[in-house]
Amino acid sequence: MTGANDALEKAFEALKGYDWGTDPATLKMIDDALAAARGDAASRSELEARLAAVLRSAAPRAAKDFACRRLSRAGSAACVPALAGLLGDDSLSHMARYALERLPCPEAGSALREALSKLEGKLKAGAVRSLGARRDVESIPRLAELSSDPDPLVAATAAAALGQVGTAEAAAALAAKEGAVAAGKAPDSLCRAAADARLECAERLLGAGKKAEAAAIYEALRSASQPEHVRLAASLGLAAATGKS
Amino acid sequence: MTRPRDTDRRDTGRRITRRQALKLAAAAGGALAAPLLVRPAALGLGGAVAPSERITLGFIGIGRMGQGHLRCFLGYPEAQVVAVCDVDRWRRQDAKEAVERTYTQASAAQGASGGAYAGCAAYADLRELVARGDIDAAVVVTGDRWHAQASVLAAKAGKDVYCEKPMTLTIREGRAMTDVVRRYGRVFQTGLQQRSTPEFQRASELVRSGRIGRVKVVYVGFPGTCGDVNLPPEPVPESLDWDLWLGPAPWRPFNNRFHQLGPPRDVVPWHFCPDFGGGNLTSNAVHAFDVVQWGLGMDESGPVEVIPPETGEVPCLTYRYASGTLLQVTWKLEQGKHLVPAGWDPSTTIQNFGALYVGEEGWIHVGREGYLRSHPEAIVGRGEGEAGGGRPVPSHHHNWLECIRSRARTACDVAVGHRSTTVSHLGCIAHWTGRALQWDPVQEEFPGDDEANRLRSRAYREPWGI
Repeated sequence: MTGANDALEKAFEALKGYDWGTDPATLKMIDDALAAARGDAASRSELEARLAAVLRSAAPRAAKDFACRRLSRAGSAACVPALAGLLGDDSLSHMARYALERLPCPEAGSALREALSKLEGKLKAGAVRSLGARRDVESIPRLAELSSDPDPLVAATAAAALGQVGTAEAAAALAAKEGAVAAGKAPDSLCRAAADARLECAERLLGAGKKAEAAAIYEALRSASQPEHVRLAASLGLAAATGKS
Repeated sequence: MTRPRDTDRRDTGRRITRRQALKLAAAAGGALAAPLLVRPAALGLGGAVAPSERITLGFIGIGRMGQGHLRCFLGYPEAQVVAVCDVDRWRRQDAKEAVERTYTQASAAQGASGGAYAGCAAYADLRELVARGDIDAAVVVTGDRWHAQASVLAAKAGKDVYCEKPMTLTIREGRAMTDVVRRYGRVFQTGLQQRSTPEFQRASELVRSGRIGRVKVVYVGFPGTCGDVNLPPEPVPESLDWDLWLGPAPWRPFNNRFHQLGPPRDVVPWHFCPDFGGGNLTSNAVHAFDVVQWGLGMDESGPVEVIPPETGEVPCLTYRYASGTLLQVTWKLEQGKHLVPAGWDPSTTIQNFGALYVGEEGWIHVGREGYLRSHPEAIVGRGEGEAGGGRPVPSHHHNWLECIRSRARTACDVAVGHRSTTVSHLGCIAHWTGRALQWDPVQEEFPGDDEANRLRSRAYREPWGI
């Protein structure tokens, strides 16, 4: 046991200086320890805390990349603050989301929502994307706001995220955009994303048995202002919702 | 976490009828008016295909596999490649020149006259290709990390899609691709071409019709996934857009083992890195898994348990279907380790990309190039296995082009490809966790297994997403 503990200490020591090109076998004991700690909450928490500490340290990017990957599989609410601290880091924001997007705890969703006001451009769009992937219903009002963001990437990503959330409330938020889209005041990227998101909402509503709500969305998307392939999609969806081809 | 119930995520099973389908997007206009026929006699088509009738194709990814697909599609008079895309400047320029040279030579050979040939466009960024309204369909032959993203972008733009195998890197990608393809009524074919090959069709029919009785176990080759990789950084070549090469995958520094600049030498040089592939299980075994799923009638489902050899409980990666049928990944059968059926020579290796079905009343062994054997021999007929195979890849391409016209489902449609590729992913996840895992193919989740469920998806690097 002492030998194993020594090896684990060596691995964590190696992690402090782990850089691109370093042999990953030097960290194998950390993976072995995580596997052994499955079902052992105390050991798991200790390992999680040590990995989270790496994220707050001056360790190289590759070391933090490693820690994020392990936390994506073994992390809990306890590591969320350390991950959230990386969301504004150009080089590590994605790996922070790589973990946060997978964590089932509500704290991960809260951290992503809270980060929105501090992020810009691609990183903001990334956080929005992760909220969509998590189907985070609490983010619907914020996503609705962001679908009018002056950054076309953020606006289109927010619309897409509302589609992934896919509830009646998300559909209503997207419908509220319809005026700007129909008036040609929205950028093309947002128009395309909003139409696709509404189709996705309709599918989810249909899957939940809400045929009338789904049919209303499909009917709206059959308008002449939509591209041909969107009208086709809406016609197919309407056929499924109404049973008429 | 606050999220809606997942019960609304299932494929609603909508089928698109021909009646429901809209006409194809307008084919290439006057600028592409020269009749560019390629080897029509070789294809038995003999006559001209009007430009307005041709299916216009955009090629995304021109590596070793991409080059092969491109050569095939250039031979179809009913299709015309109008754009190519690759993040390696040499490759996209080489592909552009190959396309233009082929069409120009073919045109001259046919004595064509008339409008000037506008040539083939070349792009580094697939978004520019996908944005073109005059492209009917996309052929996605990128590295695996791009398959889902490129296919979804194309389908959302109203294009039909041919996507190389494996369709995906994660289970969630497959579900999303299926939803999007269905949403837009697109025709989708994935490159599991055994579906278009006579010997595999025959084997599947024989197994499904009960000719070997209840199937006890199926063996396939190509075991093994991949583990951690951490290659040292090298200078990014000036002619390569490394950020676009990575696409949705996590950033890591360039190393020439991931990408061989210029003429590609290997088929999947990056598949040893889990950010880009899943080793043998996704790159190769997926062909055989598709054969198994087909023969077992599991196109809309899958196994319910996967047990990796790391547990010590099984000699090799082992799956179990609800029927009790086992699927094992091994090249050779050993007495005491595997169920070695009567009439089987233990020195025999399982066929590449094929399968050995062992039933209560015999076995059938199928592989490429016409390989089909059975015990008793009468099941497939003496000498039948020597007949030689079909031409799987051209047949598979042709099936896709025909379905684009008819709007029918292809031989290996998106939902089928998703289920077969899921078998690969289940194996990878079992290896990575080192545990036996239960799988619910209806809900597409590992019941009560938080760690395994997390591995069903990965966050895309910004700005990408599906």
